[in-house]
Formats: sequence, structure tokens, C-alpha cells
Amino acid sequence: MNRMNRMVLVAKRDYLAAVRSKPFLFGLIMAPILGSSGFLVIGLTKAKPDLQPRRIAIVDHTGRAAPAIIEAARAKNGKEMFDRKTGRQLAPGYELETVAPDDRDPSAQRLKLSDRVRSRELFAFIEIGRDALHPPKSDDDEKIPQSSRVDYYSNAAAIDQTRSWISGPVNDGLRHIRLAELGVDSSHFADVLGSATVETMSLITRSEKTGAIMQGHKKNEIEGFAVPFVLVMLLAMIVLASSGPMLGGVAEDKMQRVYEMLLASATPFELIMGKVVAAVGLSLSSSVLYVVGGLMVLQAMAMMGLAPLSLLPWFVIYLVADVMVLCGLAAALGAACSSPNDAQHLAMLLFFPVLIPLFVILPVMQAPNGVLATVMSLLPPFTPLLMLTRQAMPGGVPWWQPWVGLVGVVVWTVAITWAAARIFRIAILTQGKTASFGDLFRWAIRG
Amino acid sequence: MDAIEIQGVTKTFGDLAAVDDLSLTVPQGAVYGFIGPNGSGKTTTMRMIVNIFYPDRGTIRVFGQELRAGRSGEIGYLPEERGLYRRMEVRSLLQFHGELRGGRKVTEEVDHWLLRLDLLQCATQRVETLSKGMSQKVQFIAAVVPEPKLLILDEPFTGLDPVSVDVIRTAILELRRRGATVILSTHDMSVAESLCDYILMIHRGRKVLDGTLDSIQQQYGSDTIRVSAAGGFDDLPGVEKVRDLGQVQELRMAQGCDPQEVLRALVARTRVTSFSVTKPSLHDIFVRIAGPEAPETMEARHE
Repeated sequence: MNRMNRMVLVAKRDYLAAVRSKPFLFGLIMAPILGSSGFLVIGLTKAKPDLQPRRIAIVDHTGRAAPAIIEAARAKNGKEMFDRKTGRQLAPGYELETVAPDDRDPSAQRLKLSDRVRSRELFAFIEIGRDALHPPKSDDDEKIPQSSRVDYYSNAAAIDQTRSWISGPVNDGLRHIRLAELGVDSSHFADVLGSATVETMSLITRSEKTGAIMQGHKKNEIEGFAVPFVLVMLLAMIVLASSGPMLGGVAEDKMQRVYEMLLASATPFELIMGKVVAAVGLSLSSSVLYVVGGLMVLQAMAMMGLAPLSLLPWFVIYLVADVMVLCGLAAALGAACSSPNDAQHLAMLLFFPVLIPLFVILPVMQAPNGVLATVMSLLPPFTPLLMLTRQAMPGGVPWWQPWVGLVGVVVWTVAITWAAARIFRIAILTQGKTASFGDLFRWAIRG
Repeated sequence: MDAIEIQGVTKTFGDLAAVDDLSLTVPQGAVYGFIGPNGSGKTTTMRMIVNIFYPDRGTIRVFGQELRAGRSGEIGYLPEERGLYRRMEVRSLLQFHGELRGGRKVTEEVDHWLLRLDLLQCATQRVETLSKGMSQKVQFIAAVVPEPKLLILDEPFTGLDPVSVDVIRTAILELRRRGATVILSTHDMSVAESLCDYILMIHRGRKVLDGTLDSIQQQYGSDTIRVSAAGGFDDLPGVEKVRDLGQVQELRMAQGCDPQEVLRALVARTRVTSFSVTKPSLHDIFVRIAGPEAPETMEARHE
């Protein structure tokens, strides 16, 4: 029997054993649910917003700002609280009350108001500094004294919608007073303070077929953020789902002493490659399900235009490469384990090539052609996730970069698989001693 | 052509020479027994023949060919450390092992051996549901399907009940009759004596005995007395060592000792019910070489 046939036979056995196992089927269903849970929560929050009225106290040291702020808040409530067509409430109502400032003991007053927030009588309170109408000029926000600031106190976290909401009426109120001081008639306030809509548009292109100039179109958040994000999360999820079980599986089989008999019939390279091929098969099977499922959802939502079909070949290439690298590594690390605990510890090492790109994905998406994004996406361990992210962003990347990245990925994949097979050969029959990183390195180099 | 030719093979792990300059020839169709204390190098030698380990020095030829990095479908191997995919069904597992080694479908052979070893009723059971003895028999089948020209069995009888031992022993002899060469390691000297045509003893990685049982025993001559008597063995003239086996005692005579004098001395002291002069058993030879009083062991202890 030749080498290829033995490899295929091992791959077939591992593939069938995996697809028939309950963990695989469970993971197949749960992974997209968990992966999309963030979007699900956002969707649910939007569908069922918290409409409880929010009461905010204003301590106005200027003596003039509070009425203007309350008026601006009333106007904003009127604009945003209800759907104009259906009359359905969309947002909570913000109720503002004024509290006379206690200049003798402001700290005691803040404590008292804080207690009211804690007892949920108030949602928050704001304190408008004495000079907030005309704060001194400063380039450094940190140096602005409290008397020139507007301080917002609440029990909520740093990301607080109410703080964001109240900023509008507070600034509008203050600007109204300033305009009035300048003699501007109040009927011009809306005109002066009205803001222009800045729309994000795609670049203009020329049609390859007709040569005609194609006008730019409005880009939405989904196109700019969700498509690359979902694509990359899908890749990361499938890669992790393939490589994680590989490490534990090899370690378990080693502890069950399965390999010695197999090694009499197949070489370590044939065994490890068979396992890797099975993992690639599993990941491609999952991908087909997820991609077809995703396209069907987009079709049903009449959003097929968002489907990044041109990136699918790259998705498959990066998937195969990443699964080969991580599964080869997982098999080698699994072979080096002597106990289930070892497998848990070494799993962290395995997840780095996936976790690090996920840590930097936001800066990469903010500046997809910046130095950080370009350099990191050309580092072979991170290329699959980061280059795909950049390719999926509107505007894409210079045409040569994916190909350069691909060369690096291929070289990296071959090198890791080769080293993994050498480690596997020695480690798989080593019992009772957990291999150190020094051992792994030595085995990879010397064989 | 011999089944195996090993020339000057050495294998070290760190500073330890697991196998040290070993040379051995195994003729085709023979049953060759490997004996030796734990850690003496038997398993390492077997792993090198199967090509799981590569020798640091020397050459190993199987049926005239060096395996190098490849695998031979003609070698069946039963490792000492038993392990099978626990969640696979018995028949599927055996077909997988057979196809992996032989490169062809082995459905009929698997069923033949399942029937032969009384395991047909377990064919669709998962391996994890089998008893330890049944698992060992399944693993034996995995080693002999498809029928190998060379069968290497590392302690094949360990943990088996007497009935299963007989079944496996009969199967080994049948394979030998059909032309297979068999190498087996064992700690049971009676198995080595009764089953093996040739015996190799390895101690501390080096070959210390090699040949037929007769030729090995010849080296030691008839220096052993088997006697049944009610005590009186202390300070017998010309007796170097007394080994009490319960119903029988084994006396080792010093060089030049006359067994008649030993008998006379014993009769003078006690009642003797049986007395025979014989060659040393393999067990005795093993202990002489590797036991606590062996010169090499004493030397190692002083080091």
C-alpha cells in the first residue's frame, strides 16, 4: 500500500469518527449560535428597548443654563420618543428636574443626589459648573477646572446611552444662551445649530464592460463592518473547532496507547497528515453548511448584494492553510502530552495564532491599509485572518499583498507540518514525562 | 534468506544504551523467543525491527531489505502496551488495521479470526465494552490480519487466562506451520521453553544468550539436581545454591562436584523421595545471568 493510500485511510477513519460523534454535531449547531449571540443581543435590545422614564437632576451653578437645557431636552424627546407614523414609543422619555445648588457644602449635596441615584429615584444627575457657559480656552481637556465643566454622575457603566443622549440637550442649551448673548434671534437657533448629514459613499469606478463611470453608492454599517467581521469570525470559529478537539483527541489516544500498533503500519508523517486531512475535510464540511446557510439567509432578506462572493476562494484557501497549520501543531502538542491537564495547558499555545488577530481586529478594520494592518497581515501565522479582514473591507488591499501573504502561508504550513510530524514521531511513544518546549524544539530540529 | 538479519545495532536514549551492538539472525519459519529483565532492550529491539525506532548504528534487514523510512505490510506487530480506538466497533476496527497494513480489504479474514477466537458475537460491539482479555484477543487479530510473513508479539500472553493463552498459543503455532516467522517476548520461561525454537536473552542492552534451548543448556552442563526431601539442605558439600520451589528443591552444583556425594549426604540427613541430575532450567539460567547475585548485577550495584 502506498503512502498516499495509507494517509487517505487514516483520514477517512478520523473523518467518519468525528462526523458521527455527538460533540461535532453539537458544535456544528452551537458554534454559529454562540458566534452570532452578540448580534442577537443587539437585535433583541433594539426590538425590545428599555422604555422606563429616566429622571435626571440638574444642579446649575450658572443660574441660567437649566431652563434652556430642559427646553432642548423636551424638543429632543419630542423628536425621538415616538415613531411619527405609528405612534409607537421607540425610546425612553427623559425627565429633567432642577435642584438648587448648595454652595456651602457641594460635596454633601452630591452625596445626597448620589443616594437618590442609588435608590433609583433618579437615573443620574448633572452638575453645570459656574463658568461652563464660557469655559477658558484649553487644548487639554484634563486641565479644564470643575467650575468650567459639566459633570455627569450615574450608576451606569462608562458606556452609557443616557450620558450620550443628555450631551445633546446640554450643549444645545448652552449654545442657545451664547447665541442669545450675541443678539441672535431665537428663531434662527435651529438654522445656526442644525447639523449637515455626512454620508459615507463608496469610491467611483469605471465599468470594465462598458467603460462608463459607475457612481458611488451609500455604504452602510453592515457592508463596512459586519461583512468582514462575520467572515473572519466564521473562519476563526471553524479553525478553532477543528484544531481544539485534535489536541485533546491525540492526547487521549496517546494515553490509551493507540498509536504504537498504528505506527507499525503507517509512518508518523502518514498518520499526522491523515489526521490533518480529516480535519481539513471536517472544516470544509462545516464551511459548506455555514456558507450555504448564510447565503440562503441573505437571499431571503433580499441582501444578496452584501455576500462577499469574490472572497470565497480566498476564504477556502486561508481556511485550509490555517486548519493544516493549527491541526498539525495540535497533533504534535497532543503527542507531547502525558495527562489531560497537559492538553488543557498546551491548548492556549495553539489558540494564539487565532486570538492575536482577533485582539487587533478593530484597529485593523479602522485602518485596513495602515502599517499595523499591513505588517501583521503579512506575518504567516496571522495572514489567514487578518488578510481576509482587510480584503473584505470596502476598498480592499493592493492586489499583490494577498499573493505575497499566500506564499508566506504556504511556506509556513509546509514548515509547521514537517516539524509537527518530527515531534509527533518521537513524542507519541514517550510516556510519563511531559515534554518541555526545549524538547519540542529539539525534536523538531533534530528529528 | 533469513527473515531478519541484525548487524551491530545500537540504540541510545540520552546516556542510556537501550540496545548495545546487537547482532542476530532469525531464520524463516522459526519461533524466536526474546527474554530478559524489564528494561533490558527487548521492546526497543522489536520496535527497531518494525521500524518505529531507527537504530543509531548498525543495520536491520527484514527478508533481505532495509525498511528505512517505509513500512512493510508483511510484518504483524502486537505491542506490549495494548491500546485500540475505544469507540470503534470491533469489526470496523479490525478492517481498518488490516487495510492499513495490507493495503486491501480483509473482511473475510477478520470474520475468520473473530470466529476462531470466539469473538464473532462481539463484532458489532464497541471496543470499550469488551473485557481486558477480549480486547487483547482483538488486538492479536489486528496483528495477524492480513496474515503476516513476520509476526512480532511483545508479551502476547500477559494478562490472559489459561484458556485464552492456549487459544493464542495454538494460533501462533498454526501461523508458524503456514510459514510465518514469529518473534515473541515473554517473562514466562516455561512459554519460552515450550514454544520457541530459538531463544535470545538481552541484558542491559547486550545479547547474553542466543541459540536453541538445548545449545543454551549445553553451555551450563548438567550441574543441577532436582530433589524432593524433607529439609537438610544446609551446607551440603559441593552445593553452591539451593532454590526452594515448594514441592521440589533445585540444587546447583559447584564445578567438579559429584552428585553421588550430594545424594549420600542428603540420605544421611533426611528422607529423600526423588533425586535427578539435570540441565539447568531456562528460569535458572535467567536468574544466574540477571538475578541479584549475578556478577554483572553485583558489578552494577558496586558502581
